[in-house]
Amino acid sequence: MKLLIVEDEVDLLIAISNYLTKENYLCELADSFHKAEEKILLYEYDIILLDITLGDGNGLDLLKPIKKHNLKAGVIILSAKNSLDDKISGLDFGADDYMTKPFQLTELNSRIKALLRRRKFDGSHLVTFNEIALDTDSKTVIINQQRITLTRKEYELLLYFMINKNRVLTKEAIAEHLWEDNVDLSDNFDFIYTHMNNLRKKIKRCGGTDYIKTLYGMGYQFTDQ
Amino acid sequence: MKFLTKINRNFFMLFAAMLLFICIAGYFILQAMFLENARESLARKAVLIQNQIEKTGNLPQFDPLSQVYVIAKPTGKLNPSIKKIELFNSHEDELEPYAEYNKKVLIKGIYYNIQLREKTIEKDDLIFSLGVALFLLLVATFCISFFVNRRMNKTIWKGFEKNLLAIEQINFRNNEPLHLESTHINEFDRLNTIVYSLTNKLKEDYRSLKEFTENASHELQTPLAIISLNLEELLQQSMNEDAFKKTVSAINAVKRLSHLNQSLLLLAKIENNQFVALDEIAINEIVQRKLQELDPLFKAKKLHIELTVQSPFYWKINSQLVDILLNNMLSNAIHHNIIGGTILIIFEAHKLVICNTGEENNLTNENIFNRFVKGKSSSNGLGLAIVKQICETHHATISYEQTDLHCFTIITQQST
Repeated sequence: MKLLIVEDEVDLLIAISNYLTKENYLCELADSFHKAEEKILLYEYDIILLDITLGDGNGLDLLKPIKKHNLKAGVIILSAKNSLDDKISGLDFGADDYMTKPFQLTELNSRIKALLRRRKFDGSHLVTFNEIALDTDSKTVIINQQRITLTRKEYELLLYFMINKNRVLTKEAIAEHLWEDNVDLSDNFDFIYTHMNNLRKKIKRCGGTDYIKTLYGMGYQFTDQ
Repeated sequence: MKFLTKINRNFFMLFAAMLLFICIAGYFILQAMFLENARESLARKAVLIQNQIEKTGNLPQFDPLSQVYVIAKPTGKLNPSIKKIELFNSHEDELEPYAEYNKKVLIKGIYYNIQLREKTIEKDDLIFSLGVALFLLLVATFCISFFVNRRMNKTIWKGFEKNLLAIEQINFRNNEPLHLESTHINEFDRLNTIVYSLTNKLKEDYRSLKEFTENASHELQTPLAIISLNLEELLQQSMNEDAFKKTVSAINAVKRLSHLNQSLLLLAKIENNQFVALDEIAINEIVQRKLQELDPLFKAKKLHIELTVQSPFYWKINSQLVDILLNNMLSNAIHHNIIGGTILIIFEAHKLVICNTGEENNLTNENIFNRFVKGKSSSNGLGLAIVKQICETHHATISYEQTDLHCFTIITQQST
């Protein structure tokens, strides 16, 4: 998968690219409107991460050349402004998703994967981890050839874990992913334990391994190491 | 009270006081004048009588109007005197005022006293006629000032009133320039100049404040993003429990900071009316959907939900804001609830009540909606402030009452 990251804040650019490179994406970087425009005209990308406020231009203005020269590319806008106007005009001009800074890298990864699935890249609707297979088209989970039934939140939780396998996830990050910032959760994470325990039980019942590792009661890791 | 009315009232009262004073003074002046008049006429008559006595020696007697009698040699000078007396009139059966004139004369070695009397004007008559004059003058002044006012209202004050209306309707959001009419009156035109410069300054401040909030948001969010991303990467390295916990706590602190920043920005935006309400939204339907979404949260606290829809609740409100409003209110009802508690939601036409069980607190309707008031919760204390701000900008009131339950009531203005 080939990615273009457009972001004028170099620290942020490097942090994102380091992470996504580890996740086996091929990342190209552009730290200005000018460089981004050049790359968009010359090369093809699968995903473009686009910051709106660039030093030398408005990222939204890049959407037009993208749609002209890089039709295949999915676009995720990264904006510091949580502004509905920007969001609406961004999505209107052909962006696929919109994220407000600061965001979690795992959340970014999930959004990229979701976008790739929506764009129907080969086999991308199948997410597998050892004996667990998850089909994002039919929203089914198969463990050891056995189909298991999960609630919507349990399904989302498992998908999030599998996409961000081996990464340490804080329970706040998980809660925020499941509830998409809609609810001010601040001190109530009890429901996460419930989801987590139910998911563990259902996986074990089909003879699956419990890959969910708890870290000091504050974080989780989905790993077989 | 209108400026003109106020001036007129003061003027009228001063005028009335002056008139009253003039009337009282007039009363005494007139009395003195009448007496003087009587003295002059009686003095002439006395001279005539004196001449007649000198010629004929007869003493004319017309009691009580004129009496002449011989007196002993008076001491001192022979000065004529005049005084007011009252005599009884048997025809009219009342006392009447007279001027009495006494003149002592020496005719052919004999001293005479010539006493003449003349009826003067009655006190009551004088007061009455003065009162009528006063009243008529006042009525005339009142009428004149009334018509002058009406005319002034139509001419001089019209431009001023128009300008006042323009200032009242000033709105910095729609960026329309303020237009004030020139009134050709120095004071008003001066006021216009001041209002122009003030509004220009306000407009400029408003614009820069708006820019500032947006820029501040951007400038804050980007470093926050860098901190949060780097901490997240740090978390992936193997570390001991202490370092791990410190990192997680730093991540959460950054997250809270970013939430706080976003909430403050949201408040500013709602205050600036940057959200447009397009349609009447059936709030009860949205709540029903939200209750399903939040079900896992209810279950986690074993909460019992009672929803009563007596009538659909329609509200013309921005759809994004209604989402925030309901999220804040419902998460508030969950947060401050007890395990196994209840949430009551009641819809009536133009009224939404959300009640929850919970521990007693010392918050009141007056302070619960203030910013950064958060009781025992670990939230940022802006949730209810945002709710209140949304209500205020969408023609609704919200109130809080603590009885057995903690109840929030939203009442919308009934649109006609």
